Amino acid sequence: MSRELTIWLLIFAVGAITYTARLSFIALFARRDMPPLLAEALKHVPVAMVTAIVVPAVVFMPPGVLRIDPANAKLIAALAAGAVAWWSGSAGPTMAVGRTAAATIAVGMGVLWLLRYLMGQP
Amino acid sequence: MRTHFSPPAFFEGVRDMAPMLLGIVPFGMVCGVGAIAAGASPVAALAMSMIMFSGAAQIVATQLLAAGAPFAVIVLSCLVVSLRLLMYSAALAPYLRALDNRWRNLLSFVLTDQAFAGTLQRFRASDDLAANASYFLGSGALLWVVWQLATVAGILAGQIIPASWQLDFVVPLCFIAVLVPLLRDRISILVFAVAAIAVVVLDAMPLRLSMICGGLLAIGAGVLADEMTSRAARRKTR
Repeated sequence: MSRELTIWLLIFAVGAITYTARLSFIALFARRDMPPLLAEALKHVPVAMVTAIVVPAVVFMPPGVLRIDPANAKLIAALAAGAVAWWSGSAGPTMAVGRTAAATIAVGMGVLWLLRYLMGQP
Repeated sequence: MRTHFSPPAFFEGVRDMAPMLLGIVPFGMVCGVGAIAAGASPVAALAMSMIMFSGAAQIVATQLLAAGAPFAVIVLSCLVVSLRLLMYSAALAPYLRALDNRWRNLLSFVLTDQAFAGTLQRFRASDDLAANASYFLGSGALLWVVWQLATVAGILAGQIIPASWQLDFVVPLCFIAVLVPLLRDRISILVFAVAAIAVVVLDAMPLRLSMICGGLLAIGAGVLADEMTSRAARRKTR
């Protein structure tokens, strides 16, 4: 299967999944309540899955090589970004979210570039 | 019930969602950059944003695609990341139950983390169904349009900005901005720790299964911890 065809099939398969999940309780099972165990499990999905996405992107450099040490610029930049997100994310509800993201990205990229410059990497 | 569209509420939704764009634009750009890097054509990269319309699912799909994961594993991983949408759907359902099908189908399509966070408070505060639905549509429509524009910007930027800038690092940074504010209670921190350790330990698993398995283990740990704390609380009150 060519890469392009695979990607188009993915777009429609995952598009169907996201739309079905969005529709689920609003339209498909509008008359039903969510089973309590499912509700309990779903509550943990964001933290669990986002962690599983973020951590490998930060601690493996290159892929497959675990690097938990100060010479891993991505790890240090991620910790700095995390500190900003913690401090700025506690500021308030909804409308602070955009600001938190912008500040976190700015600090994270800034620290990454600075460290790479100091370490003499291109 | 027939619901009428309310332009003032629509534009109120647009206006209230505007500050959120600060976080959305870089994320959408990264989705464009990532899709191109994973080998998608510019048209497919944009279609991804238009049809999937979910940053987390798009990032997972493109990263796993670039890592050479099989089709089924990519779809399954996207499914698990998308489960949180079930939660939003269930939380909003009571407020949208009285709408006709067309409205519910339309509003579901623009249901995102941001639209959910932005509209739930308003729904709780007001029971003007037409205004609430229009407000939601305004928030969602703005996000959808800006998401596409950001993706196009990313597709263009991905072809100009040199790889040495490491723009792909914006992906974990976007997720850190979402993740860290959620770590406010002990069980969330436990779920975080289990996911972090499991995904590293399981990294050698074949077919890039480590993300989905690490995530599911952490969800299981969270449910177990909830059960144990609620049981302990019940014992105390007895």
